[in-house]
Amino acid sequence: MAKRSKRHKKKRWVAWKKLFFIAILFGVLLAAGYVAYLDLTVRARFEGKRFALPARVYARPLELYPGVKLRKTELLAELNLLGYRETSRSGEPGSYHLRNQVVDLVTRPFDFGTDRQESLSLQVIFDDSGVKALQQQDDGAQLDLVRLDPVMIGGIYPGKNEDRVLVGLKDVPKHVVDALIAVEDNRFYSHHGVDPRGIARAVFTIMTGGGMQGGSTLTQQLVKNFYLTADRTLKRKFTEMVMAVLLEIHYSKEEILETYLNEVYFAQDGNRAIHGFGLAASFFFDKPLEKISLPEAALMVALLKGPAYYNPRRFPQRAVQRRNIVLESMAEGGFITKNQQMRARMAPLSVVDRPPRGTSPYPAFLDLVLRQLRRDYREKDLRSEGLRIITTLDPRVQDVAEKALAGRLSMLEKSRGGSVKGLQGAIVVTSVHDAEVQALVGDRQPRYKGFDRALDARRPIGSLIKPIVYLTALQESRHYTLATLLDDSPLVLKQAGTKDWAPQNYDKEFHGNVLLQTALAHSYNVSTVRLGLDIGLDPVMDNLKCLGMDRELPAYASSLLGANALSPMEITQVYQTIAAGGFRTPLKAIREVLTADGEPLQRYALEVDQVIDPASLYLITVALQDVVREGTARGLAARLPSNLKIAGKTGTTNDLRDSWFAGFTGDRLAVVWVGRDDNRPIGLTGTSGAMSVWAEMMAGLDPEPLILTEPDGIERVWIDPVSGLLSDSDCPNAIELPFVEGSAPIDSAVCGPSAGKSIKNWFKRLFR
Amino acid sequence: MKTISRRIFILITMLFLGGCAGMQQAEAPQTTPSDNTAVIALLSKAGDQSAAGQMDEACANLERALRIEPRNPVLWHELARVRLAQGRYRQAENMAAKSNVLAGTDRDLKAKNWRIIGEARNRLGDLQGAREAFKKAD
Repeated sequence: MAKRSKRHKKKRWVAWKKLFFIAILFGVLLAAGYVAYLDLTVRARFEGKRFALPARVYARPLELYPGVKLRKTELLAELNLLGYRETSRSGEPGSYHLRNQVVDLVTRPFDFGTDRQESLSLQVIFDDSGVKALQQQDDGAQLDLVRLDPVMIGGIYPGKNEDRVLVGLKDVPKHVVDALIAVEDNRFYSHHGVDPRGIARAVFTIMTGGGMQGGSTLTQQLVKNFYLTADRTLKRKFTEMVMAVLLEIHYSKEEILETYLNEVYFAQDGNRAIHGFGLAASFFFDKPLEKISLPEAALMVALLKGPAYYNPRRFPQRAVQRRNIVLESMAEGGFITKNQQMRARMAPLSVVDRPPRGTSPYPAFLDLVLRQLRRDYREKDLRSEGLRIITTLDPRVQDVAEKALAGRLSMLEKSRGGSVKGLQGAIVVTSVHDAEVQALVGDRQPRYKGFDRALDARRPIGSLIKPIVYLTALQESRHYTLATLLDDSPLVLKQAGTKDWAPQNYDKEFHGNVLLQTALAHSYNVSTVRLGLDIGLDPVMDNLKCLGMDRELPAYASSLLGANALSPMEITQVYQTIAAGGFRTPLKAIREVLTADGEPLQRYALEVDQVIDPASLYLITVALQDVVREGTARGLAARLPSNLKIAGKTGTTNDLRDSWFAGFTGDRLAVVWVGRDDNRPIGLTGTSGAMSVWAEMMAGLDPEPLILTEPDGIERVWIDPVSGLLSDSDCPNAIELPFVEGSAPIDSAVCGPSAGKSIKNWFKRLFR
Repeated sequence: MKTISRRIFILITMLFLGGCAGMQQAEAPQTTPSDNTAVIALLSKAGDQSAAGQMDEACANLERALRIEPRNPVLWHELARVRLAQGRYRQAENMAAKSNVLAGTDRDLKAKNWRIIGEARNRLGDLQGAREAFKKAD
């Protein structure tokens, strides 16, 4: 019986043991499964691309060559934007030295794109007109062309707006690593991911009611930032430890440390988060990490304990105290001598007041760049692949444009004694031959990232439409020439279903018969509407499209006076085609996109498309020059010399709500809009508002004269301005006008070619 | 850099190209395509690149040169040539037309442009247009 029960007990015991083993086995398997899962997680992130890198956006690189119209002050402004340092003698790349008319310059290498360029030591020699010569510093050899590295103008940041500059461990100064190890994890090189002593200390703190804290190794901290959420539970702590050990099994101490250095969070700059020591060095000290001193390294490590609490710009006292604690730990750990510690304690914080810009100073332009990029790239790639984007922005032109808009608008408000308030404006400046957008202003406070009026404010364009109406007419050279007489007498349009429309001229007068050229120069409305109705609305709207307006627009009779609303950017595209001699080129903000390593990815090549025949384009351009010479824009002469032969057009809308000016010189086209966001009247015409901004800006840009090459098939003929008939160079008031060959008037005015010629003309007419 | 030797090189190249264009013009005085050493340097580099088949690089340098001298018809002509070689006929035709607008009285250059236009139109299947262009080239 006893025996039997003993056997029975044994049997039960065996069964229990079996069950126990199975349970253990199951538990081990489960744990192994979980660990395998964690292992996969750990490796997946570490094997792939560890960080999402923002795209960096650059201005156009400045080209220096003998003969370039660039003043010394302008070069210095560019060097300032680039962060070149003035030194007593020329020194390292990124420095310069001034000697009267000579700038000794050591360029940084231009290390991306197709035409790379090593760092160069050169002398830039100026004369009154610009750069006279470029000479290599060592042997005095002449240089033809030197390109500066481009100014960074902003970034396109990853989803969480993390910004960082990746650094390799070999580029990190020893005292940065020393400080980190001394304070955060002094057994880093000996533990295996978790530090039992640290854990014991942490457990003790928890037991004694000190809360859950401390005891994390650098590896654990990295795991926490990289893989886990911020909640503080025991389960999470356990997971963190397992992952830390796994990380250490797979990767070297160096790899873990390097990743940590690039991951840690330092500060918030607007909506941009500053991560990693590489970016922190420039954010706090405006220098590369390699150049960081001991006290600076200690400060950076000090911040890790509480980036907001120890923010050295807001709480310098706290920051100094914490930095000194770091220095003390370093001395205790034997990383520095007592002497070094004492000297470093005395050092000032040396944090620069303003961090180098990360958020762009040119939000409106950046907006345009982003829109153009989105056509060709996935949003995700833009925000993670570290692409480098070389744009067309010219910081010098941008600066002049911003100042002209802000300055003139304040002046206009002041000069009208408070009757004009709340003015806003927008400017687009392009290069005539290749349609590169050199400047874009979308707000009179250009740093403010808000409504981008240059791209998004659609306003009636008023008389800016007229050149398109007249161009359409001139394309029918058998019927219309610059000397055609237009009827500017009262007109009433009756259309079924709508009120009668009786267009008025701005001066509230009618001008009888006027030359086509004069009607455009003085921007007469009534004659324009008659002309437009004669040639038809459709051809005018078709031409608008042809010139580059790619949106469908409704066509009304009032479209002939600019009732349709376009954005400054859209109307710039239309005038771009006129300024470029009838060749349409899409406005371009990006030249090239490169990979993070500087390899070319995509180039946005110049493309032109001839959409208007050269002869009629020539005629309309001459007429636009006339607008400036004697028409509504003649006031430009007060600011800009008449030998520039500027072509332009003013635009004003009903009740003086919008003020426009579009004009071009030999090298640049600019469109300016001035108005109010709430669309209320501003009491300014195109001339008194937008044109004055345009003039102020162009005067600061040293424009090239507009020289037109007469195309084949053009002849010049003397015309009597009253009758539009043939005249002679010695007749009173006679003007010389260009005509498409064979389209000039045949009949002679009273003072004009002799009768003999008239008989010849009679025959001419017969065979026309 | 070695500006003078480069200039000589360009001059010789130009003379050769001129020779291709037709012997009757060979005696006309050849001028350098630009007075600007930077433009000459870029033009020479682009020439090397297109000869080596690096067409995109050649275009990039011609565009750089155009930013310095946007009204230089030779630069537009060279761009047209590269585009033609790339098989981008529509662009070749347009670039050559642009060069023509700026060429003024340079009949030799205009003739070369019309030949490019003719060739491009041929490739685009516009035979009538091509004939007209070749006629203007003569």
